[in-house]
Amino acid sequence: MTVTRGDFLDTLLGARPPTRDDAGWLSRLRAEALERANALSVPTTRDEEWRFTDLAPLTRLSFQPVRVAGTPDLARLRERFLPQAQMRLVFVDGVFAPGLSQLAAAAGACVSELGSALQGPRAAVLEAHLGRLAQFDANLFAGLNTAFLSYGAVIALDAGASLAEPVQILHVATRRDQPHAIYPRLLLAAGARSRCTVVEDFIGAEEAGYFSAPVTEIVLERDATVEHVRLQREAPGAFQLGTCAVSQAAGSHYHAVSVVLGARLSRLDWRVLHAGAGCQSVLDGLTLIDGRQLADTHSLVDHAHPHAHLRQQQKCVVSGAGHAVFNGKILVRQAAQRTDAAQSFRGLLLSARAQIDTKPQLEIFADDVKCAHGAAIGQLDPEQAFYLQSRGLTAPKALNLLTYGFAAEVIERIPVASLVRELECALVERTVESK
Amino acid sequence: MIRPNAAVLLEVRDLDAAIGGRAILKGVNLTVRAGEVHAIMGPNGSGKSTLVKILAGHPAYAASGGSVRYRGEDLLVMAPEARAQAGLFLGFQYPVEIPGVSNAQFLRLAFNSVRSARGEDELDPLEFDDLVREKLQVVAMDPSFLERNVNEGFSGGEKKRNEILQMALLEPIVALLDETDSGLDIDALRVVANGVNALSAPDKAIVLVTHYQRLLDYIVPDYVHVMEGGQIIKTGGRELALELEARGYDWVRVEYEHARAVA
Amino acid sequence: MSAVLNDLVNRPYEAGFVTAIESETAPRGLSEDIIRLISAKKKEPGWLLEFRLSAYRHWLTMQEPKWANVHYPQIDFQDIIYYAAPKPKKLKTMEEVDPELLRTFDKLGVPMNERAALAGVAVDVIFDSVSVATTYKKKLAEVGIVFCSMSEAVANHPELVRAYLGSVVPSSDNYYAALNSAVFTDGSFCYIPKGVKCPMDLSTYFRINTQDSGQFERTLIVAEEGASVSYLEGCTAPKFDTNQLHAAVVELVALDDADIKYSTVQNWYAGDEQGRGGIFNFVTKRGLCKGANAKISWTQVETGSAITWKYPSCVLLGEGSIGEFYSVALTNNLQQADTGTKMIHLGRNTRSRIVSKGISAGRSNNSYRGLVKVAPKADDARNYSQCDSMLIGSNCGANTFPYIQVRNPTAKVEHEATTSKIGEDQLFYFASRGVGAEEAVSMIINGFCKDVFQQLPMEFAVEATKLLGLKLEGSVG
Repeated sequence: MTVTRGDFLDTLLGARPPTRDDAGWLSRLRAEALERANALSVPTTRDEEWRFTDLAPLTRLSFQPVRVAGTPDLARLRERFLPQAQMRLVFVDGVFAPGLSQLAAAAGACVSELGSALQGPRAAVLEAHLGRLAQFDANLFAGLNTAFLSYGAVIALDAGASLAEPVQILHVATRRDQPHAIYPRLLLAAGARSRCTVVEDFIGAEEAGYFSAPVTEIVLERDATVEHVRLQREAPGAFQLGTCAVSQAAGSHYHAVSVVLGARLSRLDWRVLHAGAGCQSVLDGLTLIDGRQLADTHSLVDHAHPHAHLRQQQKCVVSGAGHAVFNGKILVRQAAQRTDAAQSFRGLLLSARAQIDTKPQLEIFADDVKCAHGAAIGQLDPEQAFYLQSRGLTAPKALNLLTYGFAAEVIERIPVASLVRELECALVERTVESK
Repeated sequence: MIRPNAAVLLEVRDLDAAIGGRAILKGVNLTVRAGEVHAIMGPNGSGKSTLVKILAGHPAYAASGGSVRYRGEDLLVMAPEARAQAGLFLGFQYPVEIPGVSNAQFLRLAFNSVRSARGEDELDPLEFDDLVREKLQVVAMDPSFLERNVNEGFSGGEKKRNEILQMALLEPIVALLDETDSGLDIDALRVVANGVNALSAPDKAIVLVTHYQRLLDYIVPDYVHVMEGGQIIKTGGRELALELEARGYDWVRVEYEHARAVA
Repeated sequence: MSAVLNDLVNRPYEAGFVTAIESETAPRGLSEDIIRLISAKKKEPGWLLEFRLSAYRHWLTMQEPKWANVHYPQIDFQDIIYYAAPKPKKLKTMEEVDPELLRTFDKLGVPMNERAALAGVAVDVIFDSVSVATTYKKKLAEVGIVFCSMSEAVANHPELVRAYLGSVVPSSDNYYAALNSAVFTDGSFCYIPKGVKCPMDLSTYFRINTQDSGQFERTLIVAEEGASVSYLEGCTAPKFDTNQLHAAVVELVALDDADIKYSTVQNWYAGDEQGRGGIFNFVTKRGLCKGANAKISWTQVETGSAITWKYPSCVLLGEGSIGEFYSVALTNNLQQADTGTKMIHLGRNTRSRIVSKGISAGRSNNSYRGLVKVAPKADDARNYSQCDSMLIGSNCGANTFPYIQVRNPTAKVEHEATTSKIGEDQLFYFASRGVGAEEAVSMIINGFCKDVFQQLPMEFAVEATKLLGLKLEGSVG
């Protein structure tokens, strides 16, 4: 049977909505999202924002909703647990796994699964923010996630609260029997002056084929500080179409590191809105792909208030017949005087069939600003390679080592030491130790 | 040096200024005579920088009352470039960067604008090059500075030295130096101070705006004024600066309030 | 924005007069009959009429493009006059040119007659739709160079025109290129034979004079092996409060070791402060570096037009070929400019360089949109792009959209962009050193644009700085 584009979406939209009995506002939100998703269609390369990312390999397939979570390989899963994380929420095939999770009490903070958060004292925070940041009026995948929102992670910090250790949100996909659709969700509401570090990790069993449309919403109140790490290590056959929406109030500080290693096809729509003066954002990104992988990062930093500060660096390393896309838009609205924004993109093509498409985009409507972007695509510096060779390394080893160094610059920006070590080891395997 | 009969170069009378409805200067009085070095000190937000910006004619600042006479002329009606051409110089606290314009181009244009306003011949690039190389020594700057764009990528110290270089070229009659010492290490401070000292003369005057007394170890003031709340609330000799360094500003305020209450 | 800045960026348009000469115009609107009429008026061969008609038929099937950053009212293509010509008179020498016309070019500062001789520039002049005079033709003919109007080229060198017309910009390329292919009325043709270095700069001035007429000129320049030429183009139009459409097509072909330098100073009427009137400048310019080590260099100074939409591009097919793009685009009031370039690297060892300087003032919007594409076979391709924006005042916008597509791992592509401004602080800094605002702005703008101005031939550089309303301070002192 040939599956048409319509079938992909029809199967997803035809799934039974979550039956959990939730607050009225949440049911309304789901219904609204479902209605909107029904009205949208799958983007094609004719849409400017999707011009380099062809979803045809995705839409040829059809994905079933998850009725029962599968069984993860526990030994391998535990390897992914961050040793210093006091709190960890684990979701298996999108379903919350309390037995694998670890929750501890913290002063002024709530870290819990959506269901219990809705019953808890901070339910009002959920109602204020859930589905408000990741708008689904034009984003089909955020719409699907919201329409079928069932399980999710919630981190809510009161004003002045601080979590010393990182919180880990681990999503693992296991089902190999048939393709499933998964909708991971995270809401992080950081109250005024609060501080925390959150690590989102998306992994999948080797042979699992699935479609995941994760949504992350992060709201920072005045002077809050959030360190956000997002690791996309999905299974090789997986599709991930993610949305990350961040809203920063005055004086807040958002630092994020996004690492993309997995999935057959992935996309991250990353929007950071400055909703008050003096916001600081630091966005670091690394995409390391090969084979026939396609990885697309679309970021938008919307400067709407004065004295904003942005530092963004994105690096892509592409081998095999991989295809990396980076579209980085910096918008400086008229009110955003004295914005200081700098973006750099560096791409490394390691094989003849690899390709990179990039569009670093500046849109500036304020006159008293300092904005700069740079993009460079090329190879490793032959002078550096020669230097290493002259010290006895073989040519491939020298190139691998330089590739490692190129990527490690981003990994080192992760504020969790054990994770840096783990990723560096993985990086060594993929670069230095590779043939 | 204080000479009672020296000509009055700058006379500020009851100067008021407000920005966005908030009074910044509330009746400033200051008389500067030829040969004198004045230091204006005071805490942040006291109005020091506003005062010198108004004197230099910054368009964002306007006097709302009072008068300023510069060598007998009404200074406040003059355009900023006319003030510069008439020998008033402002050393900026934060010199702006001018991308695409080389320092040499900029310096020559400024120099020739001031020269021609004074009815003197403009210098051609070669003549100017000789002159500027000589002046570079005053601030111990490398000639490579001339090829770089104005203040672009300069360190804090380099920017300040560039300001003093401009002062050396333009030979002002009254130099207003706004926080020229801020952000300088001790070596740079010495270079800048030596540059300023080399340019002082009996027919000229210098007004230093500073936060700290350390600059005054190198440039010895004849008068030290304490500014607070938009007024000069105390004037003394160089020893006042040392006292401020030791005791802070609060006692001056208390003394001033007391004197006002008594009066 | 300070009053001084306002004055500086709001100089009146000096080329906005209308010339009172008799002209012959076709009825409004577009149809196969109009195209047959244009073709008949120009006594064209059958193949060219066929070229036009097939382009027209294709155009009918195309959608008018909608561009993200350009906003303008719907164009009524049936309300445009597609052919307007000064009443025909056979011109043999410059003396026969309508004196009114000569006065027009005099006012515009076009170097003709004696002035042409002094300036050493050969000039082709396109007035509305028809080429009215070509100077220096004889002198150029001595070295085998053909420089004439497109109409004459069709009549006298049909084999050359037929071989290259539409070979770089196919008539189906885009909406406005198709329209141009159907209705183009005249333009310049230039052929530099093998090994010939053109002894002088060639120049064309374009002027739209008739209200409601469109101008659809077509320029074709072919440089054979080892040939080189520098070509200049200037454009003006009178002030009307209606919009006029200018949809030109320029094709350049450079064979082995040939070198074409194409410079434009575009000062079409931009509309008034309220955005009434002005030219819609929708132009397709493309050069093909067909041979090895060929070089095509575009330099443009864009100050006019209500809307500018153009991307002078280079297709780098020949091994070791070089493409360059140097641009200054100034927008003011409600002008919109969406301009940039495409560098398509197809051959090995190809090089390209992009320097774009956008200046926005008033309520205008200035976008750089560029594409650098490195195809799988373009080993060792290199590109360097520098896109800088300058904002004057706080009601304008500057956008940068650099598309980079790399399909070859040996490529090296670098892009840099910065934004700066002329604001009160900068002007005050100059003023406090005795320098007035006019000179300060002039110096800042010239500093900002110098990498582009350096590329212009001398007279053009002078005109360009004058056009930007500026006084040139002497070279680096």
